[in-house]
Amino acid sequence: MGQCLRYQMHWEDLEEYQALTFLTRNEILCIHDTFLKLCPPGKYYKEATLTMDQVSSLPALRVNPFRDRICRVFSHDDVFSFEDVLGMASVFSEQACPSLKIEYAFRIYDFNENGFIDEEDLQSIILRLLNSDDVSEDLLIDLINHVLSESDLDNDNMLSFSEFEHAMAKSPDFMNCFRIHFWGF
Amino acid sequence: MKYLSEWDQWKQYSSKSWKRFLEKAHEMTTHLELWREDIRSIEGKFGTSIQSYFSFLRFLVLLNMVIFLIIFMLVLLPIFLTKYKITNSSFVLIPSKDTDIQCTMYPISSSGLIYFYSYIIDLLSGTGFLEETSLFYGHYTIDGVKFHNFIYDLPLAYLISTIAYLALSLLWIVKRSVEGFKINLIRSEEHFQSYCNKIFAGWDFCITNRSMADLKHSSLRYELRADLEEERIRQKIAERTSEETIRIYSLRLLLNCIVLAVLAACFYAIYRATIFSQEHMKKEIDKMVFGENLLILYLPSIVITLANFITPMIFAKIIHYEDYSPGFEIRLTILRCVFMRLATICVLVLTLGSKITSCDNSTCELCGYNQKLYPCWETQVGQEMYKLMIFDLIIILAVTLFVDFPRKLLVTHCSSWKVIQCWGQQEFAIPDNVLGIVYGQTICWIGAFFSPLIPLIATIKFIIIFYVKEMSLIYTCRPSPRQFRASNSNFFFLLVLLIGLCLAIIPVTISMASIPSSKACGPFTNFNTTWEVVPKTVSTFPSSLQSLIHGITSEAFAVPFFMIICLIMFYFIALAGAHKKVVGQLREQLSLVREQSQVLGSWQWPFVQDTESRDKRYLIQKLTEAQKDMRNRVDVL
Repeated sequence: MGQCLRYQMHWEDLEEYQALTFLTRNEILCIHDTFLKLCPPGKYYKEATLTMDQVSSLPALRVNPFRDRICRVFSHDDVFSFEDVLGMASVFSEQACPSLKIEYAFRIYDFNENGFIDEEDLQSIILRLLNSDDVSEDLLIDLINHVLSESDLDNDNMLSFSEFEHAMAKSPDFMNCFRIHFWGF
Repeated sequence: MKYLSEWDQWKQYSSKSWKRFLEKAHEMTTHLELWREDIRSIEGKFGTSIQSYFSFLRFLVLLNMVIFLIIFMLVLLPIFLTKYKITNSSFVLIPSKDTDIQCTMYPISSSGLIYFYSYIIDLLSGTGFLEETSLFYGHYTIDGVKFHNFIYDLPLAYLISTIAYLALSLLWIVKRSVEGFKINLIRSEEHFQSYCNKIFAGWDFCITNRSMADLKHSSLRYELRADLEEERIRQKIAERTSEETIRIYSLRLLLNCIVLAVLAACFYAIYRATIFSQEHMKKEIDKMVFGENLLILYLPSIVITLANFITPMIFAKIIHYEDYSPGFEIRLTILRCVFMRLATICVLVLTLGSKITSCDNSTCELCGYNQKLYPCWETQVGQEMYKLMIFDLIIILAVTLFVDFPRKLLVTHCSSWKVIQCWGQQEFAIPDNVLGIVYGQTICWIGAFFSPLIPLIATIKFIIIFYVKEMSLIYTCRPSPRQFRASNSNFFFLLVLLIGLCLAIIPVTISMASIPSSKACGPFTNFNTTWEVVPKTVSTFPSSLQSLIHGITSEAFAVPFFMIICLIMFYFIALAGAHKKVVGQLREQLSLVREQSQVLGSWQWPFVQDTESRDKRYLIQKLTEAQKDMRNRVDVL
């Protein structure tokens, strides 16, 4: 888990964070350590904030194609407090429950934030996944149609949260892939 | 504000500290996990499918360790305790009564002058000085071990250890593969890879490496394009005219006959090689030259390895003409190669079996087996399995040393040559590697009955292979864009292993039940066949227990039992079918609700929207519950 320094966090706070999140002690301490390294020196960690750019350039998120969406979903007023970072790490930890992960995955994938994953969102997701310049229109339309035919149960060309939840409950890879290890850096 | 009573406070505190204790214990046990750091770093650099290969290898190491532990506890421990005088026990040797003296002769071959290289030959082939050690069955010519107040029945323990390790392997593999199977059963789609899974769960959020991320992007590009291509081909197949269909099917029939002919040719080659090797082994082997010696001893292994090298290339060429969809092509080729690899071992063992039970082209009446050539036939079979295992390890090491590393050197230093550019750097081919280790495991399962120390050798061999493959992967391989999905690959590996286990059980049961055990060596000298220990032991039970056992194993019980099991199975299958229908009906109802709301018009919009979304939510909830129900039924099944 790396060398984690245990100063500046009271025992009661550590207990509280352990009770409120899905993270283990070591993970919380490592995230605390990383947070202190990035925030301006001298500031108390509970009042310091990180910008979205700082969190985006964390090693765990640096190459993630959805890092800007992750930062938008988990930040408040475009900044990250320590508890926002903990919350983000908790959702992505191995011990988090499926329903929590599915809820946040839905918010991350909803690019235009209209409460549904529609064709526009699907197009953005596919383009981010493929990360190439020459994606043909046919390929996109084909993929979008396949996804909607599999999971759009009421035929309104978009996925509501319950349809998304239903689709992810059937997916065997979702739990394995929706994990990030924030500690150890 | 409400204050918690003392009791509630204590309950909360104790449940929190219990949870923390469990967490700490869990953290400690994960530290004990074998090779955790290595496998994590492989996952980070090369992806989850290659990581699943190494997890599978780790599983086999653990399985072999447990198998060896079973054999050690049941068979080896009493013998070691007695031999090294740790406990005050003695061996019980009951001389065989009504067997011919000729059957009990076991000439131990010893020649006058022993060259140094004969030690090496003995080490590589299990003959000579290794033949009498505890490595092979022949060493255990003990009928019991007498402790203070009871006699430990060694033949029964030997038989039980065999049945125990086969049953344990079966249960463990089935338990591990249940996850993948459940998911396959519940889905309404017939193939594993659904688009939802690939798009929403396509990106592995664990990736932190830039090059790994690029690799993932390119593999996603490849995979999605391949899936759509497969979809198009499937549509094309559906639109075939009847003449085309007839042409394709007759071509497929012809090609399958060719595949069968290739398999038959390989099996015949192995049969002849085994017979040749066995016949010449009995001749003056000490007088032969070193290389010729080894060649004859290892001839079956060499032929098997050559066959396993050539046939995948032939199969890959043939399947090209059979015009299947790409996914199905890959699966069928792999299945054919699997069958080829595992059946060759069976052919070898059955050839040996036929040689053992034939005396000068007639059945052996004297002892039931050819006692002149094979006074202790279980040891000979054990030696063949030992040779196969050692040769397999040598080949894997040799291929890594003499093919992988030079290839990498050539690619790095002579990359300007056209040939090298064409050939390119090696990709870690998962199916071939998996077949290799399943082949090794099948040999271990067959050999463990004839040579109790083979599981230990297999454990060491797999540990060596882990490190060799890891080094080969890190230093010589580049990641391949064509990747198996992790969820899919686990199920595939365990399915192949299960096929190996089923093919391994066949020779073991034949030698236990129908070939008479050798009278000159081994724990079963006083029994007709190995299996006879069980009826003899049952006859020493009290008569009520005996009649119970006789009742259970009689046909009057077995047939109704089998029929009841079939009925229960059909019930569950029918229930699953009914649930699937309910799921389909609910889906139709959902789209109907949507259409109805469209028809009703816009001025009722707020009210309609309310009921529509409530209906939809209710129906989707029902759908999710029905799916969960189906999963629970499958759990019970």
